[in-house]
Amino acid sequence: MFNETPSGGPGHGEMLDILARARPDRLKQHAEALLNDMGEITVVANRTGLVMVPMRDTVQNVDFHLGEVLVSEAQITDPAGQVGYGMVTGRDLERAMAMAVIDLSVAARGRDDATARFLAEEKTHLDHVDAERMRQVEATRVEMETF
Amino acid sequence: MAYVATRGGERAIEQAERLFRQDLGTIDANRVETIRSTMPYLIDRVMGEASLYDEELAALALAQTGGELSEAVLVLRAWRTTQPRLSIARPVQQHEVLTQRRISAAFKDIPGGQILGPTLDYSHRVLATDVLEGKPFAPPAVDKAATPAPARQPSLADWQRQQGLVAPAKASNVPPENIPDLTREPLLFPASRAHRLQSLARAETGGVLALGYAAMRGYGNAHPTVNELRLGEANVVVRHPRGTEFAAGRVRVSQAEVTSKEKGGYLELGFAATFGWNEVKVIAAATLDLNSAAAPVGSPVHEEFYLYHTESVEASGFCIHFKLPHYVTFQSILDAMRDAKAKQAAAEAKGEAYVAEPEEEPVL
Repeated sequence: MFNETPSGGPGHGEMLDILARARPDRLKQHAEALLNDMGEITVVANRTGLVMVPMRDTVQNVDFHLGEVLVSEAQITDPAGQVGYGMVTGRDLERAMAMAVIDLSVAARGRDDATARFLAEEKTHLDHVDAERMRQVEATRVEMETF
Repeated sequence: MAYVATRGGERAIEQAERLFRQDLGTIDANRVETIRSTMPYLIDRVMGEASLYDEELAALALAQTGGELSEAVLVLRAWRTTQPRLSIARPVQQHEVLTQRRISAAFKDIPGGQILGPTLDYSHRVLATDVLEGKPFAPPAVDKAATPAPARQPSLADWQRQQGLVAPAKASNVPPENIPDLTREPLLFPASRAHRLQSLARAETGGVLALGYAAMRGYGNAHPTVNELRLGEANVVVRHPRGTEFAAGRVRVSQAEVTSKEKGGYLELGFAATFGWNEVKVIAAATLDLNSAAAPVGSPVHEEFYLYHTESVEASGFCIHFKLPHYVTFQSILDAMRDAKAKQAAAEAKGEAYVAEPEEEPVL
């Protein structure tokens, strides 16, 4: 049930990871393009809400609540009962809906070339952003012997 | 409790609010975005204390309240109650945090090494007054390393357990929906550890610092050394309706372990974490956690004392309620004072000594 892979390429979990952090303009643009070829869609939910984030205490291994995060959520279905789902941090219902549209498209029709390319490009971009940041962080590594 | 009923004055109240808001001027999306993008640490502090992570809303709250922190936290917490809870995320674990700063003052050679990350700890605190003369302050870029730092760093406490330095801890097996939650149940004492850590996570930074500092200066029973301080970004891992787990985004988190002396063959550790990057708060809060075990009741490091007194909305609310009309209460104080003076004058006129009756403390 966890991290199932609906088709080739990154697994479902990784695809959702990428979509949730994809550049908003590109995400919405790609969803718009997919919508043209999708049939009737029913919106089950499109709202903002909260996700409680617990954390594990490192001293006694007790889980406690750190606080709540504002998220936007969208859930849609097609006549065949396939589900598309999006959840992103922040107040942007369009982003959540765009994510759900892409998720539904993949669930219903598999991953088309354009979507596979979009996911690959966004993954490359996100990896690059993280790597650049962590290169900056690495520059602050210190040897305490010589500190 | 006795207050004079408030009647009338609606016009004055409305004009008072108008005057406050007029002084702040027009608030638009640009101002909110400027606050969000230029004051990340202030935004972090507000989000942590409000127990609501959203940078845009925190910036709006700051804009709307003119930077009055307790008001900003209050409006955010109030807004939080309007939103449904959609899910509970998978618990964040230390070794999964995208770590950007991690230091230890207790151990030199920690597994994964020490990474200073973004900090002013070792900098001269010099005000850039040239900016006021029209010379923008443009910070020099970081000379990036050839290779990125590891995204994740191991847990120091786990390593210390393997070395036999820290007491073993039981594996946590509480389902997320059963984690005690202060937003839905009262804080009772003795508090569960989950309540204590949640309460500290949303505690008022200045209050936690004051009480933590008191403990550090000797009013507690344990002097802290930073075992590990970590700043990073944690994934918010939620579940798709089909069961797939995924990260809906990232949130900035801070966490600290502080250690004192050996007890029962192990190092004692205190822990705290919060939303946002706020080192002072987590070090001070972890110090309070460390001091809790042997704290005398009524002392500033006793959990009932520090948890009640660092709850920002209640504390600021109680403080500002003293601005409300207390005329009835105060009138009784004046009556007693005038009565005592009259009795004293009468006694003096008779050449007798006047002994004041013991006063009762007024109820506020």
